[in-house]
Amino acid sequence: MQSPSSLFVFGLLVLVLTGCDRCNPEPPETLLGTARMNLELAWGDEPYALEQVVTDHNGYPVRLDNLQLYLAPVAFRIDGEWFEGADVSLIDFSVHAQHIESTLNAGTYDAVRFGMGLPPEINTDIDPASYPNSHPLSVIGSAGMFWTWASGYIFVKYEGKFALESGTQLLDPVSYHCGTDASYRTVTLEFPEPLVIASETTSTLTLTLDAAKALNGTDDAIDLAVDPVTHNAQGDSLGGRMMDLLVDAWQINVQ
Amino acid sequence: MTKGMRTRIGLYTLALFVLTGCERCQGDLPCDTPDCAPAATPYTLEIPPFFPPMDIPEDNPLTVEGIELGRMLFWEKELSADGSMSCGSCHLPSAGFSDPNPYSTGITGAQGFRNAMAIINIGWSPSFFWDGRALTLEEQILEPVSHPDEMALPWSEAVERLQNSEDYAARFAVAFGDETITPERTTKAIAQFVRTLVSADSKFDRWRRGETFLTDAEFAGYEIFLREGGDPETTPGGEFGGDCFHCHGEAGLQFSDYLFRNNGLDSTFAADAGHAGVTGNPLDSGKFKTPTLRNIALSGPYMHDGRFQTLEEVVEHYNSGGVPSTTVDPFMKYTTGGLQLSAVQQAQLIAFLHTLTDTSFTSNPAFQDPH
Repeated sequence: MQSPSSLFVFGLLVLVLTGCDRCNPEPPETLLGTARMNLELAWGDEPYALEQVVTDHNGYPVRLDNLQLYLAPVAFRIDGEWFEGADVSLIDFSVHAQHIESTLNAGTYDAVRFGMGLPPEINTDIDPASYPNSHPLSVIGSAGMFWTWASGYIFVKYEGKFALESGTQLLDPVSYHCGTDASYRTVTLEFPEPLVIASETTSTLTLTLDAAKALNGTDDAIDLAVDPVTHNAQGDSLGGRMMDLLVDAWQINVQ
Repeated sequence: MTKGMRTRIGLYTLALFVLTGCERCQGDLPCDTPDCAPAATPYTLEIPPFFPPMDIPEDNPLTVEGIELGRMLFWEKELSADGSMSCGSCHLPSAGFSDPNPYSTGITGAQGFRNAMAIINIGWSPSFFWDGRALTLEEQILEPVSHPDEMALPWSEAVERLQNSEDYAARFAVAFGDETITPERTTKAIAQFVRTLVSADSKFDRWRRGETFLTDAEFAGYEIFLREGGDPETTPGGEFGGDCFHCHGEAGLQFSDYLFRNNGLDSTFAADAGHAGVTGNPLDSGKFKTPTLRNIALSGPYMHDGRFQTLEEVVEHYNSGGVPSTTVDPFMKYTTGGLQLSAVQQAQLIAFLHTLTDTSFTSNPAFQDPH
């Protein structure tokens, strides 16, 4: 038989080891994987970077300086059922390598769905100061994307300059700020090939926004010479028109 | 050595190993930063109603002693080459911790080319200086002491002067754990003090808390502040408002979005490139950080170069629209005609701006010169 002191130390060890167990991290969930959706910008068929001068459907030279938008929430479909991924993401195309990561159950998915803007329950009557500063809806995280408590957040900010004639300085403002609950839109995109999420791995998708289509779609077109500005905090029709155009401006690819 | 002894030694060693290892997974280690200060008293900054949380750097937590040391240093004239200037010389409390002159004059008589920014609720700002060239408060504070046009004292000499003071040595020891004085510790202490410069008791704040009323003119001005500019007949969403809230929004009651904008002051930027001087991007030319409107009635002159002496001149600038340029902000969308507010509306807007004055902030004894 061991001495009493050895038993005491042994007992202490058991106690400490049991206590220490409490601060170990949770065991990894083996059935979860990650969908990483990279955001890219295009103008027509060509990749586009902000501050490039391009030509719109009316032949006006246009330069986008700022394109930001909220996507909330993102969901993925498997066997006809939707599973929610990332909740709120603020995409800023002036920042390199924008992406959204969603944690999903392992499986094979065939579509993605996301809200453009913010659903009503998180758009108005919530104080941005109630979020931690790292949150995209916080005072700091939403800088420049918040109107007022009553009108909520700017869903899409599409800003730049244009000119009526090519070869001249771009001095006329392009300034679309779309928001309000009535402007919230949902986009659903079928994957061209299945997205396989395996446990503890990351699968990549590319979500491309064609910024030209924000001005020119199959059913509507915005003429910058007539309607270069909307700040539809009160929900004017032009902001809603741009949101409708943007619904058809997305393309998804699975890598 | 008997088998029993070997067993006991083995168990003791294992116990020591386990205990040491277990300590690492506890989140509240008493001293886990290079400048940890076990003797200093933790200070909890009171976040005013409707304000966001303030992000305090993990390596510079607020302490009672650190803040008091920072106040001493903020007002310490020995941090200038000739002993005539302190931080407070250009950041006067009565002027909202800004300089009532367009340009501050350094110890050599040289002048800067921008107005000293007001230090109000700066702990919430994610960038510093008009052009955003500093990303932390500690980094910002490092510059004026050694800048040849400002306090013009090399940091090595500043440290030496502080080391020669028994009082400062003792204060650094309490605040940072030992008597070592460095530029980094000096700026950390000043940053702690500056983070406590919180203004949240203006008439507007009291109104938001339901403690008082705004006059009709002040409330009308607030509505103008919150309304979109432009004629609704010609501008979608136009509401004949002041369009102020976009950049000086009330989110978190900061009255600034802390972004960089060209507000139509100039059409060329050779005199001052602004944010472009930091980013190297010509499309950032003429862009400057949006200042807070808190205590704006006290913190003139206005704009990055102090070109406007009065709030009336400021409002007139926006009312007439400013000048177009390739980088002017989209919010300055009325450069061809301005906001076209009436004289009465302009007066109401200015009346509202006066409600952001907080004299309990400017006269707070905790912020004044302790020397």
